[in-house]
Amino acid sequence: MNLDYDFMLETLWLALPGILVTFEIALVASAAAVPVGLVLGIIRARRVPLLSQLARVYISFIRGTPLILQIFLVYNSFPSILAVVFARLGVEYNIFNLNPVVYAFIVFSISETAVLAEVFRAAITTVDKSQLEAAYSVGMTAFQGYRRIVIPQAMSAALPSLCNSITDLIKATSLAFTMSVMEITAIAKKQGAMKLSFIEAYLDIFLLYCILIFTVEKVLKILEKRARAYQQA
Amino acid sequence: MLAVTNIHKAFGTNEVLRGVDIMVEKGDVVVLLGASGSGKTTLLRCINFLELADQGHIRVGGIDIAFRDARKKDIHAIRRKISFVFQNYNLFNNKTALENVTEGLIIGRGMPKSQAVRIGKACLDKVGLANKFDSYPGQLSGGQQQRVGIARAVAVNPEVILFDEPTSALDPELIGEVLDVMKRLATEGTTMLIVTHEMSFARDVATKVVFMDEGNVVESGRPKEIFVKPKERRTRQFLQRFLGDSDYAI
Repeated sequence: MNLDYDFMLETLWLALPGILVTFEIALVASAAAVPVGLVLGIIRARRVPLLSQLARVYISFIRGTPLILQIFLVYNSFPSILAVVFARLGVEYNIFNLNPVVYAFIVFSISETAVLAEVFRAAITTVDKSQLEAAYSVGMTAFQGYRRIVIPQAMSAALPSLCNSITDLIKATSLAFTMSVMEITAIAKKQGAMKLSFIEAYLDIFLLYCILIFTVEKVLKILEKRARAYQQA
Repeated sequence: MLAVTNIHKAFGTNEVLRGVDIMVEKGDVVVLLGASGSGKTTLLRCINFLELADQGHIRVGGIDIAFRDARKKDIHAIRRKISFVFQNYNLFNNKTALENVTEGLIIGRGMPKSQAVRIGKACLDKVGLANKFDSYPGQLSGGQQQRVGIARAVAVNPEVILFDEPTSALDPELIGEVLDVMKRLATEGTTMLIVTHEMSFARDVATKVVFMDEGNVVESGRPKEIFVKPKERRTRQFLQRFLGDSDYAI
């Protein structure tokens, strides 16, 4: 097999800005999913009536369907829905000019929230309820006990799964190409198609993803170690 | 001062407390005795609202309320007047010894940090842990952890401290250091309600001993009366089993 090395180098160079888009999607999705997922996780762990059941339905739907299907649904239905909403509100904006990355933000936020809700629920149940009782016994409220005692401990229990799901998320953002978002995979696809050299283009981003994920994992491991300092005592 | 009257608690069909009255005066050291399952721990947990009693009344530090009528606000107010020492210490795992003690002061009571740290250090010093301020619970022995637990309970300056079998989870050689701390608190006039199986501690330190069986108070009185001349048959049986043919005339 003869590889076109010049083309590979050129494509690699062109794909680099795609990393920013990949990170952008992952960051926005995480920024939405961490707080919302945490609240849902607490609701599930505490079995708050009604809210807990609603959260469960949401999580089941999202986790029970392929991500690509969620993408198709959002990408095909949201523009029409938003167009109606904007029209009702009297906003003068052509929704079909909207940067498709916005839809990527929406889909990945929705799906990552469901994933993290389960991660946090599991983590919170690892913290013995006696920790909260101890907080009560020194005059703290349930909210204070959660904020100061339960959540910090749950967070450090959640870190390994959290790191996993964030790397999963970064890899999953490659599906954003189906929404014509120009992230790493989309750029490689486009370049490959132009020269009909798909193998080179895909090998490029294969390497790129490897380096990306490896770096992210290293950084998260360092954070994990720091957060777990008290457990290594 | 703490007064609980006619407290009832059932878990499903299992009636654990069947109308218990208990009174702890300022400076009292009341020891609750009784076999496992007699309801001692449940009584303490109900007093601190870690379990909600089905019936009964509590009076502590100016608050006077039926358990069932207590709202969140009342429960919070009562908990600020009562602190708790747990059987399994229940220290905050993510906090150092000093933070364990200051947490309730800073977060629960809104005390300025510098003042809380001063009190926290004094309390840890009092339980002999002045050199362990920055240790995490995982770095401390059971006895040390329980002494931090006691310092944490003392620091909030409660009307009464509840002790739930504070030495039961400890290795025998570590029990002494915890009992010593509790003895010192007793001599300083700290008001305490203690569930324990340490009979010699009850005999030497308690101002009042209460014997419980099957969710009722069977007998109560000064330790001498209970240990030397128990009136009730069930008390005698219990003491005999615990003390055997020891030096107590029964």
